[in-house]
Amino acid sequence: MSALGTSPDRSDADAKLRGQAVFGADLSRTGMLWASLARSPAAAGQIRAIDPIPALRVDGVLEIVTAADVPDWRTGVIVSDTPMLAADYVAYEGEPVAIVVAESRAAAEAGARSVAIDIEPVEPVSTPEQALAPGSRLVHPDWNRFAVAGGADIGRNGNVVAEVIHDPGDLDEAFAAADFVVEGTYRTPRQYQAHLEPKMALATYESGRFTIEVSHQYPFRLRDRVAQILGVAPSAVRVVGHHIGGGFGSKLDVSLEAFAALLAQRYRRPVRMQHTALEERLVAPCRANAITAVRSAVRRDGTILATDVEIVSDSGAYANNGPALSSIPMFVFGSIYRVGTARIRTRNVYTNTAPTGAYRGVNGPWLVFANERHMDAVADTLGRDRREFRLASLAQDGDLMRNGQPLEQVSILREAFERVNELAGWRDAGAGELRGVGQAAAVWLTNPMPGHATVKLNEDGTATVITSATENGSGAVATGLRQIAAEALGMATERVTVTMPDTDATGYDAGSQGSRTTHVVGRAIADASVEVRSHVLERASQMLEAAAEDLVITDGVVSVAGVPTASVTLGQIAQAATWSEGPIAAGASYVTPTPPHDPMCATGMLIKGWPTPTYHLHQAEVSVDPVTGQVTVDRYVVCQEVGRAIHPDAITGQIQGGVAQGLGFALSERVDLDHGRYVQRNFKAHGLPLAADVPKVEAIVMEHADPAGPFGAKGAAEPPVVPVAAAIANAVADAIGAPVDSLPITPEAVLDALERAQ
Amino acid sequence: MQYCRVSSVAEAVDELTRWGAEGRVLAGGTDVMPRFLQGEQVPAALIDIGGIEGLQGISEVGGVTSIGALVTMRRLATASLIALRHPALSQAAAAVGAWQTQTVATLGGNICSAASTADTLPALLVAGAQLTLVSKSGRRRIGLEEFLEGPGTTALRPTELLRAVELEPLGERSAEGYLKVARRSSMDVAVVGLALRLHVSPSGVIDGVRIAMCGGDRSAHRVPAAESVLLGTQLSDESGAFTEARAALADAVGPGDSVESQYRRRVLPGLFGRLAGRCSAEISGVVA
Repeated sequence: MSALGTSPDRSDADAKLRGQAVFGADLSRTGMLWASLARSPAAAGQIRAIDPIPALRVDGVLEIVTAADVPDWRTGVIVSDTPMLAADYVAYEGEPVAIVVAESRAAAEAGARSVAIDIEPVEPVSTPEQALAPGSRLVHPDWNRFAVAGGADIGRNGNVVAEVIHDPGDLDEAFAAADFVVEGTYRTPRQYQAHLEPKMALATYESGRFTIEVSHQYPFRLRDRVAQILGVAPSAVRVVGHHIGGGFGSKLDVSLEAFAALLAQRYRRPVRMQHTALEERLVAPCRANAITAVRSAVRRDGTILATDVEIVSDSGAYANNGPALSSIPMFVFGSIYRVGTARIRTRNVYTNTAPTGAYRGVNGPWLVFANERHMDAVADTLGRDRREFRLASLAQDGDLMRNGQPLEQVSILREAFERVNELAGWRDAGAGELRGVGQAAAVWLTNPMPGHATVKLNEDGTATVITSATENGSGAVATGLRQIAAEALGMATERVTVTMPDTDATGYDAGSQGSRTTHVVGRAIADASVEVRSHVLERASQMLEAAAEDLVITDGVVSVAGVPTASVTLGQIAQAATWSEGPIAAGASYVTPTPPHDPMCATGMLIKGWPTPTYHLHQAEVSVDPVTGQVTVDRYVVCQEVGRAIHPDAITGQIQGGVAQGLGFALSERVDLDHGRYVQRNFKAHGLPLAADVPKVEAIVMEHADPAGPFGAKGAAEPPVVPVAAAIANAVADAIGAPVDSLPITPEAVLDALERAQ
Repeated sequence: MQYCRVSSVAEAVDELTRWGAEGRVLAGGTDVMPRFLQGEQVPAALIDIGGIEGLQGISEVGGVTSIGALVTMRRLATASLIALRHPALSQAAAAVGAWQTQTVATLGGNICSAASTADTLPALLVAGAQLTLVSKSGRRRIGLEEFLEGPGTTALRPTELLRAVELEPLGERSAEGYLKVARRSSMDVAVVGLALRLHVSPSGVIDGVRIAMCGGDRSAHRVPAAESVLLGTQLSDESGAFTEARAALADAVGPGDSVESQYRRRVLPGLFGRLAGRCSAEISGVVA
């Protein structure tokens, strides 16, 4: 029986349910030291003095390490702008200033609270608007001395970290020819990943090499970043991955690991670090806050002649991934609906706030929010039904994205509109009540970055997949990769084990991000399995004295087609092979080719294409309480295209979870900044949605097998978060008869909008 | 810290006398335990009264409802007697925290910790709650209004234990209810909680009205200004007096300029309209 399209148990489910799984935060070593970071209490200022004495008085504290004792170069994923410890000035609240080394966690944390950091404060650059204002203070006066990876020109200038400009130059004519000009400015806040397991590291140093044990989404990047920070070769760093207690993008870059490694070398003892709950919140690489202004030239017949998009996103105090993410608007505007000729300018700017970074669906939720709120505004201006207008405006197969990449299967979106309509209809809201319905669509990528897998057939007939793909909760490793190997090898899913990540033992893997694991690593496994399978058939053909092409493999048994008695098990084959020509194993690599595109389409673009796109339509029905302004999501329908569903339950689980996160972003989560400092500093103030706030999501999973994918699979886990805020906002706007162009949609905002609408 | 588990009121009173202000009573623990985690000074003794069976009862004797201090929110939310005689209290108890908190949190705890956001207090205030406090020197009775001295402060002496709460049950031609507004659907404190009890004469004149609210800078409290405009008016006259009462409620929020105060001021009038509408519909059904 095929393992695909069924939902077998996860390999980690039992251990996680029983509390037996060892997460990074569970790790301990005999004789280990603890370290904790003393962090800047100010958002911006000059460091006048660091007094270690109060911290050294804490019982158990061994040493306070400051910038003078650590490498003095700056590093970064794209822009090398981040010091290991702040030396002369601090650029955000929570920036590491000193490391406290201690014999216990309590002493390290008490010591970190006791380091006296004397800062001459300056008024922080707290918002992107301030960062861009003429004469604004520079967050980094020496910005033009920072190196950029590969020497790329990303349009840096003062507080502008990166600028991506796409300008075909013919907008003015289009606007002159328009019957209507529709404008909107869409404001969205940060979003905090709020995973339960805090960031941690356990480092040891032996024979000139560092070993870092960690729960991390991308061990190979971590290896390279630790090496970059410490100034050693990547091969001097080994990263060993453990179970991850949630990441959502927050665990893609280095955080505590280099500090722990440095101390492990200094003390020749294992060193353990872990964020406190407050540190987690202060330095999380939140989804960036952004302002997206959209202006469209529209003809009376509904044709959008041109669209002018101006985006400013907040990088925080360091560049992190912001320059790369600044390409993503190029793949949203014009990829879902026809928007005419488009000018898109995106600026990512420095502020004196914690650096932003990757959160599931990077930039997508706020870009789709702007795109879909704007579609509603255009439809309203034209007096058209919003769904009908969307269908009339949908991009069509063969249309080009703004980067020149052809949209090959965007007609799947039209099918999605039909499927959602069959299930839930449109405009069935109760008359006289504040009820509304909204839609939002997206075309999202499957991350193309490289992966490798070795598949070995064990002597007992089971298989092991050796890879550093990380199981970040979705089940992509714990079920998906195992099912793909099982299907390709002809055995049951339970008989396939996947190793935990280890950068010494496996080929490169680009980590758990952008739904890539099933598609990219799955493809590598499928390719490696073809080779394993041919070894198996060759050996079996000798053992059964039959031609290889007459053999079939079912449930771990190779038999001659039509002669079930002539058979041999995979275990027997593996044993025979091991002791004759040698063990059966094969490796394969995969990286998704960059789709055809126009390399001259924009300046400053680091992400060139939008590979392996998937198609999404969300529909939300809401009701609004006119007394309290509170929004209830009554019904939520998702139609998502996944290539082929390897594990349907895992996909619907990811859809449910993505909707919950999007709902929090839309309605209740608060990550407000006041003069560079976060206002909400604990979960109580934060406002994550609870089980009672989240409706049961109705999911339609559409399959259009992708020839490049393993058995047709594309990525599925990331994108369910992307259209949610947009769909809910459109539904709320429909319910109250007034635009909702800022997030979160607080009760106050709803009451304000209701008052304005009256 | 010493942990003392007591099994009778007499033992509890002994321990309270022994420790005085150094002791702290533990019932459900939903308020006491998080305070320790937040770094509050640990007391010299934690006196766990959770095992005292005599404090667990709900009864109705001689037209008075008596509720033991250890009755949990979950029991209040599900007990038929409470649903029938004290629907506002039943609704308020069901609005506390979430199922897990309700399972351990006690009525006595909600009263004695006297948080400004305590859901049950407005419901108790509209039911004319009288508290029985016991100590070595005997017992005394005190009205809840007098007992609540400010957010987190009460008239309870360190050597006293709250034993029971007595309430006036809902009579004929009367109705009551509690509505809570919070930022989340559960596990959150009230931005504002509002309780209303209405009683009308056979001719439909409002001859009894109690309005109480929680949330905000003060302890839970009655709103006499809103009560007095309703008293003596016709229940069917929803436009005049009810509109005045709504305005009086917005004024009752006080001068605070915080985000929560502003929201409270906006929400209260409509919340009262909703609650009054429900109560009068219920009474009208009975009267008609």
